[in-house]
Amino acid sequence: MKTLKPRSSSNRPSPETALSIATAAAPNLPPTQLGSEDRPSTLNVRLRSSTVAAITSRARERGLTIKQVVCHALADAGISVAEADLEDRTPRRRG
Amino acid sequence: MGVFMSVLTIASSKGGPGKTTVCQALAASLAGELRIVALDADPTQALSRWATNAYEGPPVEVLAEPDETRLAHLIASKADTADLVLVDTAGFGNRAATVAMTSADAVLVPSLSGEADVTEAEKTIRLVEGLARAARREIPVRVLLNRVRRTTLARHAAAELKAAGLPRLAATLSDLVAYGEMTYSGRLSASGQSAAEVAALIAELRELGWIPVFALQQHVIP
Ligand SMILES: Nc1ncnc2c1ncn2[C@@H]1O[C@H](COP(=O)(O)OP(=O)(O)O)[C@@H](O)[C@H]1O
Ligand SMILES: [Mg+2]
Repeated sequence: MKTLKPRSSSNRPSPETALSIATAAAPNLPPTQLGSEDRPSTLNVRLRSSTVAAITSRARERGLTIKQVVCHALADAGISVAEADLEDRTPRRRG
Repeated sequence: MGVFMSVLTIASSKGGPGKTTVCQALAASLAGELRIVALDADPTQALSRWATNAYEGPPVEVLAEPDETRLAHLIASKADTADLVLVDTAGFGNRAATVAMTSADAVLVPSLSGEADVTEAEKTIRLVEGLARAARREIPVRVLLNRVRRTTLARHAAAELKAAGLPRLAATLSDLVAYGEMTYSGRLSASGQSAAEVAALIAELRELGWIPVFALQQHVIP
């Protein structure tokens, strides 16, 4: 039998306290936005082969898709990339 | 009132490291023995869609609630009636995710093994530490290395986490087709590497007291 680690649930803050702490700790965070109207569309970009090769090799290195490498870099640069564009949504290829 | 830690929030500053996948794996694996409530605070509702369209195991109550005020109340009320409340959050920093971390008994931070990923995990951990200070309570937090492919890279990530003083679980999840397939099939295979990894993860979380060892809430498991 494993050691049980009892812990009173009263340790959790009340909903009101949690809300005020969360707001105070991160006052600049946006309220959650519903993205139901965020439809997909296409962006085509012509790049030099060396650029494409560099992106592809980073993707392989990280186990990401090419789109993910591009979108994560944009997000890191402060562009607000939709979360859906940061995820790998391709069907699984590896066996 | 639950006497165990019962609210486990899965969080990361960005999308993609496997929050929803970890939630699905934990919910699907534990549903047979514990009363699980999974709260989906991500407005993309990946977890709730999975629960509605794909999940096939024992019952799990999955509720979508991206509004931070309603989420805070939902966490409090479900914590008193469930053995374990899992909260899946959105990748980007938003108030619902912050509220879910503040209200948590423990926070799990999935991370990929790249250098940028480790930096992101650190951001999340520092945020949790700040929230814990503000709330004057302990909020234990651990990184879970996910989609581990090359042991060298994972070792490097583990060393980076250690150097930065970031706590992580010994358990890791490999990059396996089985995890991706769970999204469509609604079940995690009962045998094989993925099953063994999830079992090891659950064992470690129980060791930490983050997951109850047995059901406390009276309920009938069909
Ligand atoms: N261990 C893993 N092995 C293989 N694929 C994984 C693994 N973990 C996550 N994935 C895949 O990575 C993508 C992002 O995972 P997800 O759980 O949605 O991340 P998050 O919820 O953090 O945004 C999904 O396509 C998922 O199937
Ligand atoms: Mg998710």
